[in-house]
Amino acid sequence: MVKFSEPVSPAEHKRDVFEEVRELAASGNVAEAFAILRTKATPEVDFVEQSRLVRLLHRLDRKTLNLTPLRIAFLATSTVAHFSEVLWLWLALDGFDTTFYSAGFDTIEQTVIDPSSDLYDFKPDIVWLFTGYRDVHISVAPGMSTADVNEAVQSAVYHRVRLWETLQSRTSATILQNNADLPEEQIFGNFEGSSSWGQTNVLRRFNVALADAVVAGVTIFDLDQVAATFGRRQWFDSRYWFHSKHAFAFDAYGLVAHRASRLIASVKGRARKCIVLDLDNTLWGGVIGDDGIEGIRLGGDAEGEAYVAFQEYLKSLKTRGILLAVCSKNEESAAREPFLKHSEMRLSLDDLVVFQANWNNKADNIVNIARILNIGVDSLVFVDDNPVERDFVRRSLPDITVVELPTDPAGYVASLDKERLFETISFSAEDQIRSQMYQENTRREEFSQQFSDLSVYLQSLEMIATVGDLDAVHLKRMQQLISKSNQFHLTGVRLSEADLLQLAKRSDTDIKYFKLSDRFGDNGLIAVLVLQEREKALHIDTWVMSCRVLSRGMEDFIIDELCRLALHRGCQSIIGKYIPTRKNTLVAKLYEQLGFEAIASESDGSITWRFNDLEGRLARVNHYITRQENDRDEGTTVCQKA
Amino acid sequence: MPKSINPDIVERLNRVFQDVFDDPDIQINNETTAEDIELWDSLNHINLVLAVEKEFGIKLNAPEVAKLENVGAMLQVIADRAPINNK
Repeated sequence: MVKFSEPVSPAEHKRDVFEEVRELAASGNVAEAFAILRTKATPEVDFVEQSRLVRLLHRLDRKTLNLTPLRIAFLATSTVAHFSEVLWLWLALDGFDTTFYSAGFDTIEQTVIDPSSDLYDFKPDIVWLFTGYRDVHISVAPGMSTADVNEAVQSAVYHRVRLWETLQSRTSATILQNNADLPEEQIFGNFEGSSSWGQTNVLRRFNVALADAVVAGVTIFDLDQVAATFGRRQWFDSRYWFHSKHAFAFDAYGLVAHRASRLIASVKGRARKCIVLDLDNTLWGGVIGDDGIEGIRLGGDAEGEAYVAFQEYLKSLKTRGILLAVCSKNEESAAREPFLKHSEMRLSLDDLVVFQANWNNKADNIVNIARILNIGVDSLVFVDDNPVERDFVRRSLPDITVVELPTDPAGYVASLDKERLFETISFSAEDQIRSQMYQENTRREEFSQQFSDLSVYLQSLEMIATVGDLDAVHLKRMQQLISKSNQFHLTGVRLSEADLLQLAKRSDTDIKYFKLSDRFGDNGLIAVLVLQEREKALHIDTWVMSCRVLSRGMEDFIIDELCRLALHRGCQSIIGKYIPTRKNTLVAKLYEQLGFEAIASESDGSITWRFNDLEGRLARVNHYITRQENDRDEGTTVCQKA
Repeated sequence: MPKSINPDIVERLNRVFQDVFDDPDIQINNETTAEDIELWDSLNHINLVLAVEKEFGIKLNAPEVAKLENVGAMLQVIADRAPINNK
């Protein structure tokens, strides 16, 4: 068993989850049974408990849960049958119905190299190169020079890179590559960490070099970090390595599966975007309305230091692009006071995109925050020290993520961090300034209230849009926008970086990005379109746009741009398709509003729309937005057209 | 049952079987083998062994794991390895 502080003991965990879920499942209440499973399942419980949860989930009629199909191929040098069961559970709890493929034991090379292998027929979304330290073959003699060590390390890394390249030439799956879990035994003892050639340091070098070699579409799964979190002595279980080639301890499966599931969910566009924070006893000790600025506990003593540490952690999340909002039951003036006057506050009002202090119920306030930010409730994370509020919010808004906090604020950082809610596979310039962009939006809203005429307002924004083709500089952000957009996404299609690079090579395809700036600041890269010429028509195969820039004439601007592109290609019309998903009703009428006519509809609710009047539209063009070509110096073209 | 084995152990082992094979109707006896329980394959064998280890607080070595192909052998190993449970 792992020594984690558990909110419930394993015995209680058993009674709660198993009996309650079984009863609900038996009475056909699948959704509620699933919701309970989701709240109560913890990655830290041992393998026997994980297996019981797996069996419990097998009992539920999952068809009604709307899980997203997902295909994962394991290429492993160890037995993964038991692990994949646990991973199946955790991915289901994150919203996926996973089918697994597992190549024959220890046949990674053959499977990847053979173009007709089952792997490629399986059509995976994710290929997981599930290796460990035993698969890193670097022969280093004691005393070897650092240069020679590095060369040996590079050649081992190169071996992996070749596998990635072959995989990427045959599948557009995202590749997960385990790094090496450092073994506990050290032939030279402590000296292994002190010499450049010691096995421990050689594997550390390998892990760093592997990360340096990563290309678009490949992500390192940090197995070594999970091993350390679990505890190395428990992580390695030689008995089951010798017995049945299980690479690490069964009791670590929950933790590995949980981490992997959160990472895979982010690959598939299920990222959380904003933390909604309570104030009293969450950001500081005490109640500001009762205790006053002198009485709240923040900095100074052990308890106060814990709140400072939590604020610093939140501030770091904000700096990497996670939005912070406040939702507190307080008088607004009192709630703002610490932000303005307390010298130990690490968060300032500028760090917050929405500040709601009132006496309304928190569920209503949270819905309001989601509306103001134009993001889904499912991308919000609720952090509150009060278990009653947490329970109320969880019941009122089943889609929100509620973090369980311990009573001791010293545990706040660990409780939020261990949930791994903000996984990502990339980091773009937009992430660094996201919070600022949302704040500029709030200022735009205030500014817009001075105008009664929308067109005068739009004119006064002095907007400038930049148009460009997919390039290396923008690839990550473009892929991120496609994977994270839910509401303004006409077809719901997710494309990996590898997919985009493949498409960009085609002469019949254009992949365009749009950036927008105005007098209040830079909105960054806010729209991506994948366009393909087929039978004299320009087809909009993908259109995603950030909801930050809704209702500013950007949609019209984009259609003008497409008219130009279509004429340039000699097309007679533009064809767009709307495929309904759970979240994109926002754009159900988009093409109609833009003057398209419906030409076909399908039983799933999909509608195909056509626009013919290309020249007519360009003759009438009258815009609030000034057009600017992309700056060629900024990016380098990543692919030559075929 | 071997005469040295406490019926309490048999009852606890039976609950482990019911749990691992998700079937409350399973009733094991000394002669029960993988042939008798449809889901008792090599994958589930490991689930079973791990659940037995946890229930009786023991750690089995590889040869012992391989020997547990019937319930009688399993009870014997448990009795040998976990004297505290065999009051």
